[in-house]
Amino acid sequence: MNPTRDTHATLVDLLDRVLDKGLVLDADLIIHVAGIPLLGVKLRAALAGMETMLKYGIWQDWDEALRAIATKEYQQKR
Amino acid sequence: MVPCEGRYLYGVVVSRKVVRLGPIGIEGGEVYTIPYEGLSAIVHDCPAEPYQSLDEDTVKKWVKTHQNVVDEAKKQLGSIIPIGFDTILKPKDDVTSPDQVVKDWLKADYERLQTILENIRDKDEYGVQICYASRVIAKQISEESQEIRKIREEMAAKSPGTAYLYKQKVERAVKAEIERLASDWFKDFYARVKRHCDDIVVGKTRKADRNKVMLLNLSCLVARERMDNLGEELEKINNMEGFSVHFSGPWPPYSFVAKPVVPVEEEAK
Repeated sequence: MNPTRDTHATLVDLLDRVLDKGLVLDADLIIHVAGIPLLGVKLRAALAGMETMLKYGIWQDWDEALRAIATKEYQQKR
Repeated sequence: MVPCEGRYLYGVVVSRKVVRLGPIGIEGGEVYTIPYEGLSAIVHDCPAEPYQSLDEDTVKKWVKTHQNVVDEAKKQLGSIIPIGFDTILKPKDDVTSPDQVVKDWLKADYERLQTILENIRDKDEYGVQICYASRVIAKQISEESQEIRKIREEMAAKSPGTAYLYKQKVERAVKAEIERLASDWFKDFYARVKRHCDDIVVGKTRKADRNKVMLLNLSCLVARERMDNLGEELEKINNMEGFSVHFSGPWPPYSFVAKPVVPVEEEAK
């Protein structure tokens, strides 16, 4: 079986990753540690709007997905 | 004209040179690299405010462009630490230049970035979602489960009114049996997929297409030479009656660079 990057078939996978994942620059911590101000990190949630999120089912998963770890999920499924 | 004192970040690569990637950024931004000691941030110049829109298509276009830039940078410069959408650095005073702020960040975060780059070298991320078709599975179960067969046999001899209650009883029994089995499927599939991965993140399941229930939503970090093995394993699962696999990628390792910045001394507290 081969993986796909077809834009139609993987739009949710794409949004899920680009909007919700990737390297996190912790604004507060960086300001605290190195004095580097940062914009925009916390605004991802507001950005795409409720409708998009609801349509793709991302909104409900947002918070939990961020914290999801294998063991926790594994236990929940049991 | 709005001053471009912000730097929109796409990712970090290993590179010492200033490389120009052209006007491929969000809203046609000129994408280039800002190097610091062998690491380079992929950026474009932008006003110091986030990209915001309530128009779905606009946001989708931005997200796709963001991803295209990350792909292009990876193609030209190798392994990349992808940064999430709308991450913008800007100077907090008039003295520091925007480029300097990016260099200061690379310097401050240097060790962590090196460690991440080491972890993701020659690996790609893949999305794996495994669903079951509820109707197909329900049919299998009602044929195979002795308990349910027994209820159905009793039902055959009842009046239509009572038979209706029996039908509900069957449905409940099937549902309970699916829930019981789902836990076994989850464990089995998870173990089979994990075997072929260098790292794995379990995401929350999403609502799947109609008549399908998502059982697992995994992000897998896989060394290039192991990808075929994962593909073969997924093929086997995909061929099982009542199950289907959605296999996407290769993605930059978005799910494996997401740990927030926690300096060692902070963590120790």
